[in-house]
Amino acid sequence: METRQGNYFEEFEVFSRKTQSSPIQYHFSLLAPNEDIAIMMAQENFMRREAVDDIWVVKRRNIRKMTAEEKKTLQRIDNKDYRTTKGYGYLKKKWRKYEQGMLDEKEIMSWAGGVKNEE
Amino acid sequence: MRNESLKDIAIKELLLQLADDDFIHSYRGAEWLGLAPHIEEDVASASISQDTMGHAAIYYKLLDELGEGDADKLAHDRPAKERRNAIILELVNGPGHYMKDPDYDWAFAVVRNYFYTQAKAIKVQSLHSCSYEPLAEVAQKVQMELYYHLMHWKTWFVQLLGSGHLEAVSRMKAAIGKTMPDFAGVFSLGQYGEEMVELGLIEGEAVLQKKWIEAITPIFESVGLAATIQIGMARGDGRNGQHTEDLEKALKTLSEVYASDKAASW
Amino acid sequence: MNVLLNDMAGEEKLNQFIARIEAGEKIEADDWMPEEYRGTLIKLISMHGISEIMGALPEKEWVPKAPTLNRKLGIMAKVQDEMGHGQLLLRVAEDLLKPYSKKRDDLMQDLFKGDLKFHNVFHMEAKSWGDAGLIGWLVDGAAIISQTNMLGASYGPYARALQRICAEEVFHAQHGEAIIMALAEGTEEQRKLVQDSINYWWESLLLFFGPPSKKEVGTSKQDITIKYKIRTSTNEELRQAFFSKYVKRILSLGFSIPDETLRFDKESETWIYQQPDWGKLKVFARNEGPRSQDRLSLRRNSYEKNKWVREALAPKII
Ligand SMILES: [Fe+2]
Ligand SMILES: [Fe+2]
Repeated sequence: METRQGNYFEEFEVFSRKTQSSPIQYHFSLLAPNEDIAIMMAQENFMRREAVDDIWVVKRRNIRKMTAEEKKTLQRIDNKDYRTTKGYGYLKKKWRKYEQGMLDEKEIMSWAGGVKNEE
Repeated sequence: MRNESLKDIAIKELLLQLADDDFIHSYRGAEWLGLAPHIEEDVASASISQDTMGHAAIYYKLLDELGEGDADKLAHDRPAKERRNAIILELVNGPGHYMKDPDYDWAFAVVRNYFYTQAKAIKVQSLHSCSYEPLAEVAQKVQMELYYHLMHWKTWFVQLLGSGHLEAVSRMKAAIGKTMPDFAGVFSLGQYGEEMVELGLIEGEAVLQKKWIEAITPIFESVGLAATIQIGMARGDGRNGQHTEDLEKALKTLSEVYASDKAASW
Repeated sequence: MNVLLNDMAGEEKLNQFIARIEAGEKIEADDWMPEEYRGTLIKLISMHGISEIMGALPEKEWVPKAPTLNRKLGIMAKVQDEMGHGQLLLRVAEDLLKPYSKKRDDLMQDLFKGDLKFHNVFHMEAKSWGDAGLIGWLVDGAAIISQTNMLGASYGPYARALQRICAEEVFHAQHGEAIIMALAEGTEEQRKLVQDSINYWWESLLLFFGPPSKKEVGTSKQDITIKYKIRTSTNEELRQAFFSKYVKRILSLGFSIPDETLRFDKESETWIYQQPDWGKLKVFARNEGPRSQDRLSLRRNSYEKNKWVREALAPKII
């Protein structure tokens, strides 16, 4: 029995971003008749104890997710150290010999605010 | 009679009006808990009732600091004739009891909440330049939460009236018709109104009312309502202690446990 | 697409499914799952969800009456959370119900028809402010024990919902304790409120975890939920955990428990207790508890009365 009010319950997925530079985070889904009402309800349903900078609501049918089968394409052999810093950790020891520090993630990311001039 | 300056009296009067309005408004909102048209809305609107009771608590606390007695006592232990809230805010959500066969009207909730939130936003805006510094500071804080409240109720108001659904539109129109005749009570500043304005506490009733009409007129027009906005105080002025049976009953309920032992710590 | 998996035989699918669960993988809504698994989840989660919604009602009754501004705010926030838990869980159940084209409206109708049950505790009366406090303290306490037990559930969406729920339950437990603590340290009448509540709720708290085995009521879902790694402990283990966590807290405040036989047996390391009247679970399941019909009619009333709102905003069918 399909009543018209049945349509009222459209599915929306709710996402938020903590700060302007953080990644979008998925929360949960909710039911609402349209996107204006969905966005009006999203924060108090899922983020009433946390601060956020922005909220997205997306109609679920507009999200293309992977099927279980497609998810198989995400599998990889764990032998890719060569493309991560993990594979180059030995440099730290090497550089020590030359009295140099390691340009690791922490160091390089710290350049974001400008680099202090030094000898 | 204490020997109070007119300024002190005016400040306290205004604080009582603000506190009592928000308190009874959030009480009516809280009665809707678990009964909203759908679950997500129940959760969302519950936050608004909490925020609003939080605002009442802030105002009561200011009164406490002025020596009027502690906030819980002010909220729970004053008879109807001492309450300053506008009558429109005390009216029941509908016939029936919140525990048994409530015949609550969502249209009335939306209209009253939207009208009140818009009016509150205008008053709070005016309080930004209140000559009583602590209240001006509080107004800044309260305003932060009103953006959401206003978006919330405006969305419902516009969507239901714009739905083209016969029953919804006629219920909404009936709710507007029910709310208007008493809504001027929200703008009334009571018997010390003139002093409040002279002392620079808040703008006058007529100014506030005009701003409110300016704010809701385009919304009315957007949903095809003829914008003849006429409000009154059909049942009297709550600021002067005039109230209905509805408030008496609400006070009895909300103070039931408190009154069972006023000295106890709960 | 459909390169490898599609033509797999049923049995092979089942084996792969079991292997995934055994490996600790999470099953997602769109994944293939055996009917028994889906059916068990639907029963469990829709009952859990609707119990949260119905469970909001006994406490809601005390929201307007809470004795201070702070208590009014606290209990409002708590009832709001319970509605929110219902929201999360019903969303999970609704997704599981997709193959049967059932939606929220159908779940509500199932509730009204008596096909969808809600937990025994929410059929009881909340007679006093003491009950309002005790619900937060011990009913939520019991619920926390059973809900945390499923945090590692093999069904991903349920596990994620429980993660959010349990985080909020921490607040509920403290909210309940705060009310009880104030009463416990208060006047004789206030202390009596708590003691009366304990006496009234004790049996319900034991019933809450369900029968120890099939023989008490004829059916028990616990074996299947453990088999599919939806939960880890049995009903009896959860009840024992409840005793272990709460008996000493109740006694430490100087209250008594209405069971003279209750004791911890050191030898077997188990709590010995007076068995509740298991037959009552059937009474509640038939919605014949003290407040079953009132709460159902309140829920039905609000759902019917607001039907026009849902119709007005439903997108038009063209
Ligand atoms: Fe809960
Ligand atoms: Fe809870």
